[in-house]
Amino acid sequence: MAGLRGVSQSARSLPLSQLSRPACPSYPACSRRSASTQATESPALHDLETDSTLGAPQLSPDEKRQFRPWKRAADRKGFGLPGSRYQFHPPKYSRGPLHPIQSPPSSDPVARDFVPGPFNMPRMRQTYQATIASDIMTLAYNHIPPGTPDREQPERLRDWDGTSEYHKNRPKRGPRGSPVLPLVEQNITFRNIPEITEITIASYAPQAVKDPEHLLVARTMLLAIAGTTPDITRTKSSVVQWGIIEGQRAGVKTTIYGNAAYEFLDRCIHLVFPRIKDWKGIRATTGDSSGNLAFGFAPEEVALFPEIEVNYDMYPSKMIPGCRVFVKTSATSDRQARLLLQTMGVPFYGEVRN
Amino acid sequence: MTAASRGGSAVSALLRNSRRACPRCARTTTHPSVPLGARRHYADAASIPTTSALIAASLESNLSSAPPPMQHPVTSTETTTTEESPSITAATRYKIKSGLILTRPPLLTREPTAFEAAFYLYQKRLNERLAVPFRREFYFRTDTAADLDWRLKLRERHGVPAKDIGRYNPRGRVAWNDEVLVGSETGMTGDIAESLLADAEVRISEDGEEIVDDERVPVERPMPRRTEADEKGDVRRLDRALDQTLYLVVKKGEGEAATWQFPAGDVPTQEVLHETAARVLVESAGVNMNTWIVGRVPVAHYVTEPVFAEGEDATTAPKRRGEKIFFLKGRIMAGQADLTGNKHGLTDYQWLTKDEIKRVLPWDYYRSVRNMMTGR
Repeated sequence: MAGLRGVSQSARSLPLSQLSRPACPSYPACSRRSASTQATESPALHDLETDSTLGAPQLSPDEKRQFRPWKRAADRKGFGLPGSRYQFHPPKYSRGPLHPIQSPPSSDPVARDFVPGPFNMPRMRQTYQATIASDIMTLAYNHIPPGTPDREQPERLRDWDGTSEYHKNRPKRGPRGSPVLPLVEQNITFRNIPEITEITIASYAPQAVKDPEHLLVARTMLLAIAGTTPDITRTKSSVVQWGIIEGQRAGVKTTIYGNAAYEFLDRCIHLVFPRIKDWKGIRATTGDSSGNLAFGFAPEEVALFPEIEVNYDMYPSKMIPGCRVFVKTSATSDRQARLLLQTMGVPFYGEVRN
Repeated sequence: MTAASRGGSAVSALLRNSRRACPRCARTTTHPSVPLGARRHYADAASIPTTSALIAASLESNLSSAPPPMQHPVTSTETTTTEESPSITAATRYKIKSGLILTRPPLLTREPTAFEAAFYLYQKRLNERLAVPFRREFYFRTDTAADLDWRLKLRERHGVPAKDIGRYNPRGRVAWNDEVLVGSETGMTGDIAESLLADAEVRISEDGEEIVDDERVPVERPMPRRTEADEKGDVRRLDRALDQTLYLVVKKGEGEAATWQFPAGDVPTQEVLHETAARVLVESAGVNMNTWIVGRVPVAHYVTEPVFAEGEDATTAPKRRGEKIFFLKGRIMAGQADLTGNKHGLTDYQWLTKDEIKRVLPWDYYRSVRNMMTGR
């Protein structure tokens, strides 16, 4: 429902809780307690209004015309406190937990590290909740008859065998065969449906070593695409053939989370991918075995983003780099992540290995 | 796609040798699609298979196009057939049926509630306060038509670069006066849509002249969210309630005894659930639909108990067999249902939302299927 602003005066005088409860005579009467009904029962909370400000009655045009806070403030003469001295500014540095002035939490709009919250409900997220999530759960369902004993899970980090006195309290041995302990694939259940968690976009521009303007262009490009200020990355090793020395600023990266990630993926799938010439899809072998997939854009394909296309002439010619996109999901294996992206409309090409 | 399907090929050989047959399958002939080498055998003295042994091939088949090999995970209670006589088993007490819950998923996003709209507006205004200022010179070359167009519209918005937050000034002497007044439309969906559409109009011609009011070309408005079907309340049409899921229900029988239900039909021995569901859909609602059945597993089930004659108990054959209906989920992309010549005695069909279906289906039937319905 869009709101009560269009509802008639008489209807709006009813408390909101009464308006929103649907009448269902066919159901057995179950008296449900809720916070709002409890509040009105308790005498101490009788002052509380049960209806919302958003449904407040409309004012007459006269009342509206008389409400002019700016005029009231301007007409106020002789009063007025010096503004900045009576305003609270959160501390720039933390002086420790015992100091009387502590920083407010990041969710507080006055906090220095406040990030403005959701501006809408992304359409891809809504589609995920309404359609995709339940379909994934059905597609990946596997029936285990009740009473089936659990499979014995072998120990992956093994204990020392106790042949030596020094084995006591020693940290466990590493995984067999490799120094890395890979993720174990979890079943998809109603509580564990894969979803997009974050997206990292990185761009490597080694020409920036000789000409720093390449770095600026790469940074601006990522800022336009992702909407967040990117960080600058440095080369990790020295390779003479490529002309790079360790520690030189030669790349940019940024990570976007939540709603921004869904909207970025939505733009990629519906605006950029269809415009790429002879695009086959994302390679099916992509993946890090832990549910994160990656793909790349060539410089010509980056130019297809509407955010870049709108002022493409402003970028120096041939300086726009390509970029790599890492889509991180809550899936626990490559095939689960591939299924998730396929339901969102991403085609894959090539042989599937895992 | 489960943990237990990994290493499936290693245990599938083990499984083939230690397969058990339920009483019904033991009595029937071999399924034609199962190769001779993998024909079902009678039970041997193997122990109850574990999770990994059961899952191996059936999991992959859920997603692949090959028909699944016939595997029947059994519990200890159903292993032997010697205790009960063949005439009075679960098979004679219940009929297995397969049904299809055909859905049209929502085509539009839902409208935000009043609180959500107010919250989003608040956050957008905070963003306007905190974001770096808009650099006009980076996006428009000075004194081009696009630049003049932008400057004209910015002036009409009283200097606010953002288009959907109304008149908001985060800086200056009067910056504190930023509350949206009661009764204002600012931040509501209609107002945001109108501001964006007004901004999409071209106001400066290619020569750099402002376009006169008479010659302004309005931007094409998007189609309304409430379609003609919504206004008329036509429950047979698929373009109704675009922001909600629609479910197909069919009316079986006529007059007082007619009931609304999902299309369902008996599962013959040579078919599996999803094959029956597809066949039943075609038999009930015709072929003029582009549909997709989601996976091969049911999403809901409904059980009717058998009715025994007076004085009889569960050891005798029932007067009327019970039914176990397993519903699969289907999606319709295009087309429409057509009941002419249907083989199940169906007289009418409707496409209903979750709330409407509550009033139309029998109470216990609805109770069995309601948990498969998503929020919208």
